[in-house]
Amino acid sequence: MGDKLLTISPFNRVEGDLEIKVRLKDGEVVDAYASGVMFRGFEKLLRGRDPLDALVFTCRICGICSGSHSTAASNALRSALKIHMPPNAYLCRNVVMATETVMSHVTHFYAFFAVDFVNKRYSGMPTYKVLLERFASFSGRSYVKALRIRRKILEILGLFAGKWPHTLALQPGGTTRPVDRSEIVRAMGILTEFRSFIEESLLNCSLDRWLDNKSLTGVESWLGEDNHEDSDLGLFIRCGRERGLDRLGKGPCRFLSCGGYDLPDGTAWLKGGYFDGDLNPFDQTKITEHLKYSWFKGNGDAEHPENGTTEVDLDKVQAYSWAKAPRYDGRTAETGPLARMIVNQDPLAIDLVGCLGPNVFTRSLIRLHEAVKLVRQIGIWLQQIDPSQPFYARSEKVEEARGVGLTEAPRGILGHWITIEDYKIKNYQVITPSAWNLSPRGLDDTPGPVEQALIGTPVEDAENPIEVAHVIRSFDPCLFCTVHTLIGDDNARSFVLTTA
Amino acid sequence: MRKVNVLWLQGGCCGGSTMSFLNAEQPDIFAAVHMSNLDVVWHPSLSTETGETVVDALQSFCSGNRSLDVLMVEGAVHRGPDRTGRYFMFHDRPFKDWILDLSNVAEYTMAVGTCSSFGGIPSSGTNPLDATGLQFLREKKGGLLGVGYTSGSGLPVINIPGCPAHPDWIVETLVLLISGELGIDRLDRYQRPKMFYSKLAHHACPRNEYYEFKASAEEYSQQGCLFEHLGCKGTQCESDCNERLWLGRTGSCTRGGFPCVSCTSPRFPDGFVPFFVTEKIGDIPTTLPLDVPKAWYVGISGLAKLACPERLRANAVSFKRIDLR
Repeated sequence: MGDKLLTISPFNRVEGDLEIKVRLKDGEVVDAYASGVMFRGFEKLLRGRDPLDALVFTCRICGICSGSHSTAASNALRSALKIHMPPNAYLCRNVVMATETVMSHVTHFYAFFAVDFVNKRYSGMPTYKVLLERFASFSGRSYVKALRIRRKILEILGLFAGKWPHTLALQPGGTTRPVDRSEIVRAMGILTEFRSFIEESLLNCSLDRWLDNKSLTGVESWLGEDNHEDSDLGLFIRCGRERGLDRLGKGPCRFLSCGGYDLPDGTAWLKGGYFDGDLNPFDQTKITEHLKYSWFKGNGDAEHPENGTTEVDLDKVQAYSWAKAPRYDGRTAETGPLARMIVNQDPLAIDLVGCLGPNVFTRSLIRLHEAVKLVRQIGIWLQQIDPSQPFYARSEKVEEARGVGLTEAPRGILGHWITIEDYKIKNYQVITPSAWNLSPRGLDDTPGPVEQALIGTPVEDAENPIEVAHVIRSFDPCLFCTVHTLIGDDNARSFVLTTA
Repeated sequence: MRKVNVLWLQGGCCGGSTMSFLNAEQPDIFAAVHMSNLDVVWHPSLSTETGETVVDALQSFCSGNRSLDVLMVEGAVHRGPDRTGRYFMFHDRPFKDWILDLSNVAEYTMAVGTCSSFGGIPSSGTNPLDATGLQFLREKKGGLLGVGYTSGSGLPVINIPGCPAHPDWIVETLVLLISGELGIDRLDRYQRPKMFYSKLAHHACPRNEYYEFKASAEEYSQQGCLFEHLGCKGTQCESDCNERLWLGRTGSCTRGGFPCVSCTSPRFPDGFVPFFVTEKIGDIPTTLPLDVPKAWYVGISGLAKLACPERLRANAVSFKRIDLR
């Protein structure tokens, strides 16, 4: 890595500054291009700094999964500094990560995804009125409730991480915030309030009852019981299938997860893997980034992030993105909650994908399914903390080292790579989940996962391409995503599909 | 009564101040909209309006056909490369040009977060993107809009720095601006409302007793003061974080056990590195508290250490409470 401007996409609020162009023919998407439209150059900002200061900078890559960046950065530093965290540190970090992820999943569903159900396209459907009453932006009963409870669950982060976003509590040696028994009780109280929302609004049943669902048939019979079909999730399941979301947005059918939520005994709550029909172990050395369609010098290069180069080339003819194209073993892969659950052999995810395939419906349902699992798991981790034992281990400076930090952020695999020389950062690279899912074409011209998921999507009304919005948002590009859709060749028309 | 039109745009940022804004309480965002009769015409993550509707709305503001009461900008404005603004295009147009046009017609212009206030992280180091805040680049007035800029109300850009900004700072400023209660005399030298930024993050820090006796933590997770060894800038940071508290009043940076990095300052981030250790000359930190003369600091801290009770001495370096009689 020379002395160059660096990329974007890993360092970009990728989630926020994305442009998607689709070409329509006979009412169907025949081509799609995902472009990062903002250059942020975070990497250049990091070079030459004190390695620990990366914690301050990198969490500010993203205001929505800030804690995931803290986790990845502190993991990278820990592997470089070769320190071991005490058991409490694992548990507290997992509480922080899981809280952020649950908050993110719930916000995504209510504030950004379900809002599309009340698009005027659907105004003739029988369920429209109830959906409007439930999910309309700023006025829907469940929308308002969800935004309020979102704020509530973040209070756990006040106790465990001081503030959010942009906490510095997650350090290579553990957490700066020991908690005592009183604070564990308070956190349990907050979690219980949040759980009530999940059970009384999202599910209309207990967490455990939902988690008994192991198959599509199971979900279907759950739907018929009690008043489950009236819950927000029940409503989504009914309307989602009625509107054909289970036939939209297939994607590459390859799934990647690095695993996450490390545990004190050396295992992890989520294991990593690569599923392409067979389940293979995850190996970070198989990650490369392609530059062919990015505004950077280099055409035929496939670089491991540790050795990546990023020199701006604004005149590159075929380029259309400030994002590089991450590939695993040379191929595109979907990452996110669905990938995590498939890799971890979650029976419901496996069965849904088996029966319906990966699609907008499956992806969105499994995201909420993961949130329900995590709510239960946060309570378990809280109970395992032993306030009499340490939360932090001191680390010494290191003159020269390399480190890799991987974690599962709400939207999927997040990697940080650091090289330290002369006690300073020599190189720092990040690949975000959205860089994977929203990547441009690679060396072999294969479209990125979202590009691929879009191709073949039927669009009923080019003036209101809601199907395209469903597909993009099923990947949860982020809260901030402003997606521009450029339709047609000659009379190009620009749409902003906001995430809400 | 006509609604108050609010437009929120995001430049080079992480969206953190939007996330923080959503955490508002007393009033929460729903109550604030009601109280001030707001019409949030567009926000990149909260609105349902799409495509041409948004471009039309922006253009109707620019042309003066519709009044823009409050322009809220989150994120730095990228001017590079070569002042083209091409590093961030918004609707096929450099974002900076949109801001120039919209700020011209806005009754009030608010910079939300440190990036739009002062440039923040995107403008740090060598500032490769030529990023800037709306009316400041770090401590230097000017920025994108220039030294002489005032919005329709006659006020300059109202800066609400913080990385992220506290939701109360955003919401209260908005409410007070609209009701005409936030005049130029209520802003400080960096155009921040004094009511939030005339205090120090140090005020109401629960580690203050340790600070008084110079009973300092030697590593993170310990209960002592973070100023002497661990880089805390709370005695320099102009904010009311530890009085106001975050996330349902449950925490703050120093309550979270990590150092304040003075994120509300125009000098953030480069003016406060390294963040996690206190640089010293001899035994004296180079980052002394604001307006405390060095000689007095040295004298008082020497005495304070001598006077330090054993209870504090022991607890300062322990992660859990040690009860001593």
